[in-house]
Amino acid sequence: MSDKKKLWQIFGPVLAAFVLLALVFFLPFSLTNYSQKDLKEASVSFSAKIVKGEAVKNAAFSDKKVNYVPFFGSSELSRFDSLHPSVLAEKYNRNYRPFMLGKAGSESMVHFLNMQEMPNGLKKKKAVFVISPQWFTKTGTDAAFDIFYSPLQVVDWLLNLEGNTPSETDQFMAKQVKKESIVKNSSFYNRLLTKVADGQSLSNTDRSALKVKHQVLSRQDALFSRLDSSSSNYKNQVQKDDRPLPKVYSKNALDRIGYDEGEKGTTNNEFHIKNSFYRTRIMPEKGALKGVQKSYDYTQSVEYAYFQSVLETFAKNDTEVEFVITPVNKRWTEYTGLDNDMYQQSVSKIKHQLRSQGFNNIADLSRRGGEDFFMQDTIHIGWRGWLALDQFLNPFLSGSYQAPNYQMNDRFLSTDWQNLKPSEQNVSDFQ
Amino acid sequence: MLNLQPYADPTYFLYLLAALVPLAIGLYFGKRFVTYEILVSLAFIFLIFDEGHYINQGIALIGYSIWQFFLVWGYITYRKKANKAWVFYLAAFLSILPIILVRISGTGLFKPQLSLFGFLGISYLTFRSVGMIIETRDGVTHDFNPIMFLRFMLFMPTLSSGPIDRYSRFAKDAAVAPERSRYIELLGEATKKLFLGFVYKFILSYYFGEIIYPYFQNQAMSDAHHGMLLSWWLIPVAYSYGMYLFFDFAGYSLFALAISYVMGIESPINFNKPYGSKNIKEFWNRWHMSLSFWFRDFVFMRFVFLFLKNKWIKNRNTVSTIAYFVNMLTMGLWHGLTWFYIVYGLMHATGMAVNDAWIRFKRKHKDKIPHNKFTEAFAVVLTFHFVILTFLVFCGFLDTFWFHR
Repeated sequence: MSDKKKLWQIFGPVLAAFVLLALVFFLPFSLTNYSQKDLKEASVSFSAKIVKGEAVKNAAFSDKKVNYVPFFGSSELSRFDSLHPSVLAEKYNRNYRPFMLGKAGSESMVHFLNMQEMPNGLKKKKAVFVISPQWFTKTGTDAAFDIFYSPLQVVDWLLNLEGNTPSETDQFMAKQVKKESIVKNSSFYNRLLTKVADGQSLSNTDRSALKVKHQVLSRQDALFSRLDSSSSNYKNQVQKDDRPLPKVYSKNALDRIGYDEGEKGTTNNEFHIKNSFYRTRIMPEKGALKGVQKSYDYTQSVEYAYFQSVLETFAKNDTEVEFVITPVNKRWTEYTGLDNDMYQQSVSKIKHQLRSQGFNNIADLSRRGGEDFFMQDTIHIGWRGWLALDQFLNPFLSGSYQAPNYQMNDRFLSTDWQNLKPSEQNVSDFQ
Repeated sequence: MLNLQPYADPTYFLYLLAALVPLAIGLYFGKRFVTYEILVSLAFIFLIFDEGHYINQGIALIGYSIWQFFLVWGYITYRKKANKAWVFYLAAFLSILPIILVRISGTGLFKPQLSLFGFLGISYLTFRSVGMIIETRDGVTHDFNPIMFLRFMLFMPTLSSGPIDRYSRFAKDAAVAPERSRYIELLGEATKKLFLGFVYKFILSYYFGEIIYPYFQNQAMSDAHHGMLLSWWLIPVAYSYGMYLFFDFAGYSLFALAISYVMGIESPINFNKPYGSKNIKEFWNRWHMSLSFWFRDFVFMRFVFLFLKNKWIKNRNTVSTIAYFVNMLTMGLWHGLTWFYIVYGLMHATGMAVNDAWIRFKRKHKDKIPHNKFTEAFAVVLTFHFVILTFLVFCGFLDTFWFHR
């Protein structure tokens, strides 16, 4: 056998493999088909894969049969009980179903990128955004960034820059996102984000490269973001038949149920924290947690600017949004020493940022963390808290879409705002 | 700045193989472009260490290489004139001094700032240089060739995790280009190993290491939080870790070999279906082979010869049992100074001593002890389970499970 022939025998199959791979990525037919059941499970799977990809989000938010509303948030979303928003929407056959996006660690920067992939879920539609003041630490909480990040988010973002010119927000976020090592290590995205951060438009070559990336990555997403078949929250939590809910919605009856479930579920501790949470997360280190939150400060944070990027994206899409500000468990924070005044200052700073730009739908639950069985554990609402939230969500989501009128102010991206130590006066004066 | 950790993701292979194309074409036509080979090696080593906390490691690597360079040079020069044992021991000691300091400081017992001297691959480079000093003492290596020394020490494909090559073997390959027919065979082998490596490292190792193993760890930890001293979940923890470790390390070794072959260097193989071994000694002839052969030649054999030559202990069986313990303890300590690496070494030494004793017993009672397909199958199953048990210790999860709940 000639040497040439031997080389062909070695590298021929490799070439063939690459050709086949290219076919999978570039053939122009769709590989995704999500059933109604898939989407229902996806809506309460809290999977990072869904935040990363666009296939499932696209399918859900363009679904003809069910009106899925994006619920952006973090760990609180998965606190199931009889009064959880998904349970209530299902039981009382509301004209919407929550589609949960996020789990522990998904804060504003994650959602900014997440949102870039789902214009059809935002454009002239409604959404719910749950804010946890815990995100607003001095340098932000990006520890979970890698879990939720996918290059597809950046590709979608850069392909949809308005008029191909980066706005102030784009520039600011490009600068922040490319600090993350997972982004920085990819020379392609690093280079493009550097351009955007410097306010330059992308060249035609850049945009063509992005389109090829989009083809490959979205195909990869469609192939590999298959839902975890193990996720069955919908079947086991939302549709659970032994929920003691009355046939007809009655706030008082439901409140009673929340009270009873809460009382039964929090028997092993004095903080009204759910037993299982207390046993696994608190008990082993209870002593060490006493007074540990005394110096926590949520009033000065880069997160205020990340949050502004989320608002900017809502405004760009004319999304009508209900914002939820969550409380902390008062019995618990008295033990850990979290400063309640500081907490309220951060809430008023967030609210000024919202109101002054025309975001007026705010469900501020932040002062209610001391009510009985309002919280399921330390910082997550549950039971009567969910019901209280439903008093905001139901009217908002059941009504028809009203075009909002936002007046965006890029000053909220500035370090002046990030580092503003709030007092009543300086917050409302900030422009 | 671009940062590339060796074999970490598929794009790494695109960059690396593209850079190696000129070298491969040269080798195919019987030419070895040494300067180009060195430049590619240095570039890819630079890309490992060019960023963040890696920078300190890169500086440590440079310092380490200089240290070993002068040490080996000095010893080879000395060895041409004389051959005193204490000089050899001193040179060997100085050569392993950096890793000793790094390991001790790693425990936090002593000058933790010294752990700054650690870098990715320090343990593997130590084998290369100590091996050279030993080969010099034995008269296998006579001359110091500074360029060849650096090509050997900083051979990029095996820098971070082996296989561990010997200087005398490496220098033979690296001095010339292989015959064309041999080089074509090597390319074929390289392609096979590369794709098998992809299956091992990016599919199986990912599945066992990132999905199954953490899941069982979590289950076990929830028992730990309930105050239990043992948990049934430790059993699947052990199996999943054992599978993860094999596929991860064997996959990594396949990559290193494939790239070596493309560069026309036949680095030694590292794994040969280890979980099919019939006893623990055979296991070590098939698991992390380049490491265990290194230890066999340079620790175990030397120890046995030393004892027998000086007649400190007459009984050969006793000597080899002691040698097993010295050998496996050293290997355990090389991984790091923690209780679980030490226990791991002791377990394997015990296993080997028991295995020897059993074989002697079997030989004496040949007529009474059956030997057939079934006993062999039983031996494989038994060996596998013993190994998995030692890996449960090795993985360090028990440390978390018991002491860091």
